[in-house]
Amino acid sequence: MTSPPFRYARATSVDNAIAKGICNGSAFIAGGTDLLQLWKAGVTAPAEVVDISRLPLSEIDCSNDTLTIGALARLSSVAAHRDVAMHHPLIADTILASASGQIRNMATVGGNLLQRTRCVYFRGQDVPCNKRQPGSGCGARDGVSRQAALFGTSAACVATNASDLAVVLIALDAEINIQGGAGARRVCLSELYRLPGDTPAQDTTLVAGDLITGVIVRNVARFAGRMTYLKVRDRASFEFAVVSVAAALHIENGVIVESRLVAGGIAPLPWRLTQSETMLLGKVPSDAVFVAAGDLAIQGAQPLSENGFKIELLRNSVFRALQTIGGAS
Amino acid sequence: MSDRSVPRYEAALKVTGRAAYEGEVPAVGLLHAALVEVPIARGDVVAVDASEAERTSGFATMVSYADAEPLKPSPATALIRDRAVHFAGQPVALVVADTLSAARDAARAVRVTTQARPSVTHMAQALNTAYVPAMVGRFPSVSNRGDATAALADADRVVRHRYETAANIHHPLEPHAVVCWWEGDKAVVHTSTQAVFGTRAMIAHAFNMPPADIRVISRLLGGGFGCKGQLWWPWMFLAMLAAKKTGRPVRLELTRAQMFRLVGRRQETVQDLALGFSTNGCLTGIAHHVTAQSSTHAEYSDATAVYTRYLYACPNVTTSHLLVRTNEPQPVPMRAPGTAPGLFALESAMDEAAVRLGFDPVDLRVRNFADHDQEAGRPWSSNSLRDCYCIGAERFGWARRPAQGTAVDGRWRIGWGMASTMYPAIRQAAKVRVQLAADGAVLVQCGTQDMGSGTYTALGQITADALGVPVDRVTVELGDTVLPDGPFSGGSQVTASIFPAAAAATAKLRATIAAMAIADEASPLAGQRLDDLEFRDGSIRSRSGNVGEPWANVLARKGTEGLEAEGESGATQHPDLTATSMGYGAVFVEIGVNAGLGEIRVRRVCGAFAAGRILNPLLARSQYVGGLVGGIGMALHERTETDRATGRMLGETLADYLIPTHADMPEFDIALIEEDDPHLPGSVKGIGMLGTAGIQAAIANAVFHAVGKRVRSLPIRIEDVLGRR
Repeated sequence: MTSPPFRYARATSVDNAIAKGICNGSAFIAGGTDLLQLWKAGVTAPAEVVDISRLPLSEIDCSNDTLTIGALARLSSVAAHRDVAMHHPLIADTILASASGQIRNMATVGGNLLQRTRCVYFRGQDVPCNKRQPGSGCGARDGVSRQAALFGTSAACVATNASDLAVVLIALDAEINIQGGAGARRVCLSELYRLPGDTPAQDTTLVAGDLITGVIVRNVARFAGRMTYLKVRDRASFEFAVVSVAAALHIENGVIVESRLVAGGIAPLPWRLTQSETMLLGKVPSDAVFVAAGDLAIQGAQPLSENGFKIELLRNSVFRALQTIGGAS
Repeated sequence: MSDRSVPRYEAALKVTGRAAYEGEVPAVGLLHAALVEVPIARGDVVAVDASEAERTSGFATMVSYADAEPLKPSPATALIRDRAVHFAGQPVALVVADTLSAARDAARAVRVTTQARPSVTHMAQALNTAYVPAMVGRFPSVSNRGDATAALADADRVVRHRYETAANIHHPLEPHAVVCWWEGDKAVVHTSTQAVFGTRAMIAHAFNMPPADIRVISRLLGGGFGCKGQLWWPWMFLAMLAAKKTGRPVRLELTRAQMFRLVGRRQETVQDLALGFSTNGCLTGIAHHVTAQSSTHAEYSDATAVYTRYLYACPNVTTSHLLVRTNEPQPVPMRAPGTAPGLFALESAMDEAAVRLGFDPVDLRVRNFADHDQEAGRPWSSNSLRDCYCIGAERFGWARRPAQGTAVDGRWRIGWGMASTMYPAIRQAAKVRVQLAADGAVLVQCGTQDMGSGTYTALGQITADALGVPVDRVTVELGDTVLPDGPFSGGSQVTASIFPAAAAATAKLRATIAAMAIADEASPLAGQRLDDLEFRDGSIRSRSGNVGEPWANVLARKGTEGLEAEGESGATQHPDLTATSMGYGAVFVEIGVNAGLGEIRVRRVCGAFAAGRILNPLLARSQYVGGLVGGIGMALHERTETDRATGRMLGETLADYLIPTHADMPEFDIALIEEDDPHLPGSVKGIGMLGTAGIQAAIANAVFHAVGKRVRSLPIRIEDVLGRR
């Protein structure tokens, strides 16, 4: 109903943040654009909020085919960064298709990757949600399910991941740096997310104290000029994707030699369309090939009562995205 | 831009953030309030236990049924006096504490025991309980003109479909708020309301006290749209009870989530509409039957099918309204009540008929123009609807409309559509007081309030014009029950209502000054004829003699402190009318549908509106554009979601409840068609509702024109138009 109080602590260093973050009931805050919404809605009630926004993790560096973005870089700073705009326009465009100018000025890259689902049951009151309140049930499965996922769901949860940036970064094989109680590690961004299974409260593979410190994108030159992020939404701005598709093609001698297709809005995590990617290899780009990629993308979709339209929408979005980038260059 | 396009009276205050809203009024010893809600959709409250809350820091008191019971029973007190729960998230108590967060902590600690009972959480679950309400607004629920059933059976062509509209929420930017205190037996209530006098009357009734002992103040509102009325009263009463109990001022402000539930909604409708035509395109019969939602604690029905009785010439028309009571929040009027959902159905069906009959949609409407009010059997006071069609079509370029399904712009399939809009022009009783100071300064006062639509500006302008002074010489005071009685802000009637009262007051002052000048040997106007005098540029002057002087000089020579006059005007007497008055419009839109992806975006809007004389084109345009934006929201975005299992509303935030963003608003071309209307004082009609209705059907018709799909349910979303690539 309303928001319980919390203790506020300002992290003095990454190690200090980790030490505080390990404590039960603590939550990191950076831009706060998601955490504060969740707190105000009564969805989350941290005992202590650890402010990491002043940690020196907002550097953006682009050199030698490698883009490194500090986890605390603001979305607006990333989108406006000259090297990002020049060498990684897909990332800049995707960010500019997200949220609103005001939110992008506050929100950080790390926070964006960790934003929680927009499922109205998760963010609601007095309605069941296993992600918010384990064991209470899933209201969306038999209720208002327009937002719900088509893939990767479980009996316990049908919520989707809402990040635009994660969809694109996974298409670009991004890695993330994590520091935690057990030291530092680097993993593929795709390994950050997990399917809900029986424990939907856990969105990611992070453990207590883990802090994402940066994002690394390497060697995307081969996709230059053939990358796009198609975001289908209910209004023209300031809205999450109903369905989105990040697509990248590497074409040599008129033949597709590498492809990336990742969809958003249809699964608990950015959903890699592996079958479609594989099918495209060795093919000469054509509408017929792209149609086939769309047809493969929807294999195995499991609709609920209100989200069946997203199957057709996904199929068409894959086609449109490929058609946008697959023409003669 | 016309010289009548005076900027808003309070513009500088608002854009600099200095405008003080009633919820911000400071008060010494102020306590903050929070509401205690229950999750069940239907049942009874068994107990409200504050023992734990009392131990929280800063707790002052809790008020609940026991405290509200002494209030007089009425629809406004039922929700807080009774122990019945009617909808999920209903408040059952109010807690006050030293700070807002302490109040919220305490509210969280209140233990409410409830006994749940089976609930009805959607109209569809209880259609067998539908009943006919006695009235829909000021109109009878059921109407029959001629024999529509026979006419439809005999018609050459019949278009018969079901249309549906979703529940919408008003969402003024400023939430409902009250800061109230008691001075002995007298109450001072600062609150955001569309009706200071109505609020005072209901407080007087509920608390059984003389109205003169109550002061209600609402000087600035951050929007209302119909929800700052009766459904706010119970929660405001709780705050007043807490102020009485503690002897301290109390402040309550609703949260955005509470505004989804507690202060009204545009009701959900299901409409069955049949239009019968002769082969030459003339309407021969209309049947329009509406089923809509109301709550279990109150009754409200929009006049949804009422306008079908008026818009077109047709000898045989039947309409009816049914209500279904559900355990959902209560509906109230929302901007363009009745016309927005009703004209969506009627104007969509007219478009379907145009296609079936092979007529241009504009031509079909012109062909069926009603040259008088066929329902009441009397003339229109004025009706420039055909000019709206003609001028709107011309400005939009309608004659160049491409064939259905042929226009594209890249991946976007383009469609054009149009529709009519209308709204009754009525007045309420009003009093306006005007004071002139000896230095020529003017003060005009009326107790009516400004919802944000421009009442300050309009009243200042009317007064300045009548006295021949620049508007910046006029101070306007509104929104306070110590001022002369003014109308509630709703139904597009405030400007029309206060105009004649202001005209009467200023006419008295002009007459007084003129008489003083004529009789004053020291005046250059001494001995002039009264009817030869005019007020212009701050002076009173003779039209023929080219003599005059500042009217302040006339006052100054008399050594008077100033002059004061009050003007009064009456409400529309509906049974006695010799002519029916309405405002009209025609709206033309171009939309794009992203092929295969189903995104719908409005690309161009032209609205041509005829609503009497326009006092301020700048304000009028702003009203129309705002209305059209609201209409785009209803057509494409706005929809409340309810979990039918629990009855709980979902997505109670402005992130989840979509309204148009700037990127969803195209350029608006607004044509103001002015009318002389001898039946209306000053030819003034209301304009606020007109823009909000009509555009829904225009968009739906444009969607059909683009992609060949008829969507008969609002909002129109991706899934409704998602086609093959």
